[in-house]
Amino acid sequence: MPFIRRQWTSKEADEWTREDTITVIISPLVYVLLMIGTALSMFAMWQGFVILGAGIILMLVMIWIINPKLSSVSEGYEKKQKGYIEDLDRAIKWEE
Amino acid sequence: MVHFAFLDWFWLVTFVLLMIGSGALFYRLGKRSEADFFLAGRGLPWWLPASSVYATHTATDTPMWVAGVVYKHGLAGLWYGFFAAWCAVSAFVSTKIFRRSLAYSQAEWQTLRYGGMPAELLRGWVAGWQVFLNMFILGWVGIAMGKVCHFLFGWPPWMGLTFFSTLCAVYVLAAGYWGVVMADFQQGIIAFIAIAFVSIWGMYAAGGPHAIVAKLHEMGLSNMLNPFSFSGFTGGDFPVAWFITMLVIGILGGLGMATAIDWFPEAQRIQSARTVKDASWCIWAGQALVVTRNALWAAAVLGFFVLYPGLTQVKDYEMAWFRLGFETLPVGMIGFFFAAIVAIHLSTISTHLNLGAVYITRDLYHHYINPKADQRRLVWVGRVGTVILLVGSFIFGSIMENITEWLIFALWIMAAGVWLPGILQVIWWRFNGWGYLTAWIFNLIFSWLVVWVLPAFGVIPHLRDYQQFWLLMFLGAIVFIPVTLLTKAESMDHLVKFYVMSRPVGWWGPVRREAERRGLLS
Repeated sequence: MPFIRRQWTSKEADEWTREDTITVIISPLVYVLLMIGTALSMFAMWQGFVILGAGIILMLVMIWIINPKLSSVSEGYEKKQKGYIEDLDRAIKWEE
Repeated sequence: MVHFAFLDWFWLVTFVLLMIGSGALFYRLGKRSEADFFLAGRGLPWWLPASSVYATHTATDTPMWVAGVVYKHGLAGLWYGFFAAWCAVSAFVSTKIFRRSLAYSQAEWQTLRYGGMPAELLRGWVAGWQVFLNMFILGWVGIAMGKVCHFLFGWPPWMGLTFFSTLCAVYVLAAGYWGVVMADFQQGIIAFIAIAFVSIWGMYAAGGPHAIVAKLHEMGLSNMLNPFSFSGFTGGDFPVAWFITMLVIGILGGLGMATAIDWFPEAQRIQSARTVKDASWCIWAGQALVVTRNALWAAAVLGFFVLYPGLTQVKDYEMAWFRLGFETLPVGMIGFFFAAIVAIHLSTISTHLNLGAVYITRDLYHHYINPKADQRRLVWVGRVGTVILLVGSFIFGSIMENITEWLIFALWIMAAGVWLPGILQVIWWRFNGWGYLTAWIFNLIFSWLVVWVLPAFGVIPHLRDYQQFWLLMFLGAIVFIPVTLLTKAESMDHLVKFYVMSRPVGWWGPVRREAERRGLLS
């Protein structure tokens, strides 16, 4: 099995896996790099361009890792959503 | 006072017509149902609610706030805006869980996660609190616009407050969330272009990027270009301990719900996305734009700093970005800049008008007063709720100077002691409604004691904000954890239903096993 898995059934995608862990670590880091990289790039500092570039690359890597899994989660869930919506009003009624 | 040429008026009038047009254009969609009026029918692609997240969190007072911290601390001041990091984690954890619950609001979610009396008490409390808070934010942001119009045109502040909020209410009343999100999309684009353009223009007015860097070196203030320039681990006015606390609040907060004040508007955007995937990306991208925008502002503020060093009054330097725009842009572009400020303003006002009305309509009227109300009536209640919020915001805005200190305290207690319970309710099956309710009540008590009463009587010293956070979290935990464990767990039927629908992460073993035993996880 590859280190990063990109084929999922919706049932498998509902489980927390390595891909989720990697994503939640990378994701705030991307925010940091975009923020600092943009600020320093505005001053035409080479460090800024490098950091901003790293942020964009890491963002693309993150999308590559997690997007197939998110697609599978969505696909599985949307099949049930209509039924859930119909059930929602009844489920949350405070009086029977 | 600023003089408007024909081209300036052209930009402003065109923009206002675009906004009103979006209300008229989506009027038919907005009035179809409660789901349309408040969630645009749950059918939006990710980039629409993402632009709404970005536009909503770009308010008239935001550039003032960013200018205040960056002028004082340099680029390190950017971290004050990094609480947004909760979205970086939430997008892939709690956003998915909340989207799958289908709850219209965080108040409604309480009744899906918890059951019985505590769930109802929590729903009523969260809804009431949010109606009040949205009214307060509308007043706060509205009076900031009043101040900008006073600065520009010499209008009395109430005129800027009432005129633009009323203008905004036109398309919110007509088209509900459809109007909000479509206008936000236009406003987001206009605002981002204006922020980038004015910031770059302002930097060149200050001599350009290299000249600003050189001048900061000459002034012996190179550290202002260092985003990690702290004043020590615990000492000084910007310590590492604050930074670590902020990272913990932001990043771990993403695992939970209602762990940040922004969770409430984001909840509406999450539910309006057409799929779980769209919900995740809308939150992630919207806040990525927010942190990037802060960086653009910060660079411009440092340009302002080298032009006007040594300002000591907050009211003088918090207008940095506005002054760069109005003092350096050529005639004809001032109107574009002002149109962008109006865009920034309306996007925030429209969101809070519609969001406050969600709680009035869905959580109070529909849930408690008239559960059998038809869709037409619910849409009308939504409109009445919007008007109530508008009028309330005028009252709040007009007395804001007097109540600000008290209300900032109210916002602070919202964040400190209920942050950990906000996480536990998502990741721990055994956490129950009594525990969460207790956390809210005792947080109110402990906050008063720790922040005001005990320091006033010399029982404890005046603590720094990050120290208050840890203390309030600890004090809350020694009450709500025993209460949780000493009261009954939520019923297994209720938990299984919640688990199967939402698939929360963390410690849900017993609930998962029960769901598997019932054959519900196929």
